[in-house]
Amino acid sequence: MTAHSALGQGTAIAAREVKTVLRTRIYALLAVGLFGFLFVLVAGGGGAATGYTPAIVDLLLPLEVIVPVLAIAIGYRSVVADLDRGELAVFTTYDVPAPVYVTAVYLGRSVGMLGMLGLPLVATGAVIAFTASPDTGVFATHSGVDSPVLFGRFVVLTALYGLSMLSIVLLGSVIARSLRTAIALAIGAVLVAVVGGDAAILAGLTDGWLGPSSLSWSFAVVPNSAYRSLVLETVIAIAAPTEEAYGSPAASAIGLFSWIIGPLFAAAAIVARKRL
Amino acid sequence: MIPNTNPATERANTAQPDRNAATTVLAGESIEKRYGSVEVLSDVSIEIPAAAVTALVGPNGTGKTTLLRLLLELESPTSGTVTYEGPQTARRIGYLPQRPSFRPGFTVAETIEFYASLVETAVDSDRILDRVRLTDARNRPVEALSGGMTRLLGVGQSIVGSPPVVIFDEPASGLDPTMANRVFEVADELAAAGTAVVLTSHNLSLVSRHADRVEILSEGTVTELTAPQTLATRYGVADLREAYHAVVTADPADHGDGDDERPRDDPTDGERQ
Repeated sequence: MTAHSALGQGTAIAAREVKTVLRTRIYALLAVGLFGFLFVLVAGGGGAATGYTPAIVDLLLPLEVIVPVLAIAIGYRSVVADLDRGELAVFTTYDVPAPVYVTAVYLGRSVGMLGMLGLPLVATGAVIAFTASPDTGVFATHSGVDSPVLFGRFVVLTALYGLSMLSIVLLGSVIARSLRTAIALAIGAVLVAVVGGDAAILAGLTDGWLGPSSLSWSFAVVPNSAYRSLVLETVIAIAAPTEEAYGSPAASAIGLFSWIIGPLFAAAAIVARKRL
Repeated sequence: MIPNTNPATERANTAQPDRNAATTVLAGESIEKRYGSVEVLSDVSIEIPAAAVTALVGPNGTGKTTLLRLLLELESPTSGTVTYEGPQTARRIGYLPQRPSFRPGFTVAETIEFYASLVETAVDSDRILDRVRLTDARNRPVEALSGGMTRLLGVGQSIVGSPPVVIFDEPASGLDPTMANRVFEVADELAAAGTAVVLTSHNLSLVSRHADRVEILSEGTVTELTAPQTLATRYGVADLREAYHAVVTADPADHGDGDDERPRDDPTDGERQ
């Protein structure tokens, strides 16, 4: 297999995933539903009227829950459906390498994930721009000022969080042998990674095996904590500085990227060894 | 009036005067396959020649699909070897699964074009659709195809990239006689063009009519790979059906129809091309 053909195969598979997402109406409905939900949150919480940073505070916790749900919706069938149809066995006759297949499926579904998540968030940002007080239109270059740049940063971080969740869900789809087990695995994997991680940190603090000095890297290890930490440190703390740091932005960024890359490596290794 | 001809015989008489001299493109030697303590295949050797239809027949559970999966290298044998000996091409082996299925939401043409984009060589998707008689259905969504048409699309997918070997797992299973015959006709045409076609089937009528060589699997072992009529002659019986029963049971009369899915009054018995 030449590099060119691997690239060609990856492009073809990724394009098929994008088309699948675009042709599945439920995803468009989910995006519209998400926008409606975000609109209600920022309108109801008063964030839309007061500025980007208050709106981000309103959105942060709900998005920690909604993003994994979107990732499950868009990713749980991605690989197991191909396995179920016998297409994975057929792909081996085209010499499609497992890493190419997994990466292509992930990239294709990522386009859907970013669209479903990004478009409603950008639309929400637009609503805030039109409804908030005049000084939120300033593109801040120093701390203490609310700004669309901060909201843009929040959108990017939320997208990264979504990509990490999608990666975990895709790993579940690779492990599963049927659509039924795939949905259970996707929910289980996300619950372990998100709720389990936070619960472990809480248990560690309560039982004493995790000290306050370890909190910084502990947050980085759990995907939603890493996301929360990044938002608090690089978005909210810019507009509303505090003396106490919530976590290390660098460690959290590394943690979040690891949750994107790690499950993909594991998924490729499993597909290469899977009985098709 | 349509003449009564046997495609396999025609192929033997024209394209390959000496079928024993046919080039082997895929070979399995002394294959044994075990799942834990269960032995599925024992000391199976098989040579797949180019330009011929090779049929593997046998009762359910005798390892036909397992043997195909080993030839496809989807699984590894417990012992023995599988060797591809054909030309180096963009795609070596095409595969039609037992129950082919395609991603919904795409048309027939889009599906073939997708698979065509997985091989480096240029692929004429229209020619493939024409070959499997799906040109008229090219814009139909795959989920709107009948079972037979889905099988034909699977055949079309299997020949993308012109692999020297194609493997069909139960290509006639669940199809009406006309559609089943059409799938076997495509197999004939592929063999006539030089492709090595390997298939499994319970339809002994179609196998007898279209296959150049037949191998009967029974209890994990195989008979010699040979022409259907030669097999019948060897067992002193009239046809492949009786030879099959002679191999898989001690008393053919007790076995009835065995696993042959084709009913006694199967219209394909009298079908002529």
